[in-house]
Amino acid sequence: MDIYIAIIVTLVGAATPILIAALGELVVEKSGVLNLGVEGMMLVGAIAGFAGQFYTGNPYFALLCGAFAGAASSLIFGFLTLSLSANQTATGLALTIFGTGFSALAGAPFSARPVQLMRPLFPAELATHPVWRVVFGYSFPVYFSFFMVVAIWWFLHRTRSGLTLRAVGENDVSAHSIGYSVQGVRYAAVLFGGAMAGIAGACFPLLLTPQWAERMTAGRGWIAVALVVFASWKPFRLLAGAYLFGLVMTMELYAKAGGGPLSAIPSELWAALPYLATIIVLVLISIRRDATSNAPACLGKPFLPSN
Amino acid sequence: MQFRLEKRPEPSRLMLYVTPVAAVLLTMIIGAIIFSLIGYDGIGAVREIFLTPLTNAYKWQDLGVKAAPLIIIGVGLSVAYRANVWNIGAEGQYIIGGLAGTWVALATYGMTGPWILPLMILAGVVGGMLYAAIPALLRTRLNVNEILTSLMLTYASVQLIYYLIRAPWKDPMGMGFPQTRLFSEAARLPTIIPGTIVHLGVPIAILVALVAWFIMTRSVFGYQMRAVGAAPHAARYGGFSENKTIWLAMLVSGALAGLAGVLEVAGPFQRMVPGFPTNYGFTAIIVAFLGRLNPLGVILAGIVMAITFVGGEVAQTTIGLPNAATGIFQAMVLFFLLAGDILVRYRLKRVVNQPAAGAA
Repeated sequence: MDIYIAIIVTLVGAATPILIAALGELVVEKSGVLNLGVEGMMLVGAIAGFAGQFYTGNPYFALLCGAFAGAASSLIFGFLTLSLSANQTATGLALTIFGTGFSALAGAPFSARPVQLMRPLFPAELATHPVWRVVFGYSFPVYFSFFMVVAIWWFLHRTRSGLTLRAVGENDVSAHSIGYSVQGVRYAAVLFGGAMAGIAGACFPLLLTPQWAERMTAGRGWIAVALVVFASWKPFRLLAGAYLFGLVMTMELYAKAGGGPLSAIPSELWAALPYLATIIVLVLISIRRDATSNAPACLGKPFLPSN
Repeated sequence: MQFRLEKRPEPSRLMLYVTPVAAVLLTMIIGAIIFSLIGYDGIGAVREIFLTPLTNAYKWQDLGVKAAPLIIIGVGLSVAYRANVWNIGAEGQYIIGGLAGTWVALATYGMTGPWILPLMILAGVVGGMLYAAIPALLRTRLNVNEILTSLMLTYASVQLIYYLIRAPWKDPMGMGFPQTRLFSEAARLPTIIPGTIVHLGVPIAILVALVAWFIMTRSVFGYQMRAVGAAPHAARYGGFSENKTIWLAMLVSGALAGLAGVLEVAGPFQRMVPGFPTNYGFTAIIVAFLGRLNPLGVILAGIVMAITFVGGEVAQTTIGLPNAATGIFQAMVLFFLLAGDILVRYRLKRVVNQPAAGAA
């Protein structure tokens, strides 16, 4: 019993940052922009969140630092791709290279200096029984991620602004001709995606390992990008996908600890499993149907209103 | 006074060549300012990173050795990007190339003969090619995005190194260190200038770039790559198959990344170690763009990025600049280059006496 509870709690921890980053990227892509810089923005958010926690000890302020830093770095991407119509694929990669270097530089003074992990949101009395721990045992970002799944679904499908955002992503020229600001909507989406990636990055030192390590997001940002494709741009499927990956990542820990035939598998294979699983999932999804059929029609295409 | 962007009737060739130079210069200026603002000796950092490797003749051999893999991988990536095939996993293909070469070196350990090194190189090329074949297959058969698959395979290949050097390939005399044994003499890349570290990989890199330039500009293959990349629909009418182009682009870029990997492991490393993933595969993306996807430009761009690598090490020892600063300068070069690209396709025009129509 206890082992299952522990597995679920670990799984939720592993899935949460991926889910938050992927939700942000989903909104960005819905507006027609492909930002491949998620991994870089997450790293910038991770070091900002770490620094925030290190200096203030207030994890909410730390998350805010992560959000702000992620949004600020996404602005570089937004300016290059939206105002200067630079190639989105290349700019996203540049952002990841930048975020990797920036976080390593900013994080150098913090190495081997631990911070406090974020405490659970609800009082400990609520989570004394193991079953209640599964419901009430997490810190704020976990509940935030659930809230955002619903909020983003509601925004995209039930509000006028959400409709505008989707219109911009499906047909930028028409949206522009009926008076919507394509650039404005896309800037807002990119900034939101950057803030979400930054929060996701801050989750690493706050939820998972209370230390600074270079490249501590370890490719999770790329998995988040892949999950958006897997979820065919639908928030609730994103939730399912992120938890599937949380399970894959958690298996590594318990396979090693649990003994039996699973522990005979080399640890490196377990470590490679999330990346291999991403490929397998992308393959499965495209066998079932055309993976890109639901993609926003203008995804990745530059748009300059002066044309 | 207001400016407006006006589309040029055709891309400016002048700007195509001016913008990479401007990007490097801007990086030096803005980099000096930013690094001063965050408390480092900014001008010193720029001097050490961009100038010392050039002015200090002793560093030239380092430049050659660092530039060689960047040029080889960068040439392959520019062929792929020309065809609009986004191979981002060159680092993984480089690693697999290095591992394939290591496999041959370990299997022939203690043997002598002039055939060992060519066999290693062949293994490296084939290894990189096979690893790039996975994203190619998935893209052409199932339309799976090659950016994500090639990148995920990179993360997996790093784990493969760790596994192989921890268990089956571990040096029995290595005192527990996770690394392979030192290759025997026949499996090491010879130096070409006595007394330096300049190895055979350096002339190979130049040769690769020259051959690629010739093929890209003078052959049907090169024309096909450029045509499919520039105008996929027109290229299809012209009888060029898109899938075939994707395959060619991935295989060529994978083969060259694998070649770079095997040359590195047989040259500078001479054994497989955990530090083999050197980020060359990612930096080569910048090299390809800075070189304007032109193999001759890639030679220059490879040297520029090699300067930042060598200079980054200099700045680390002389003024205590963290090694990560190199990555920031490299990313800035790419940012400025991509930003400057707008001047290739658009020209800035001053708007006189016009109501704010352009600002909407």
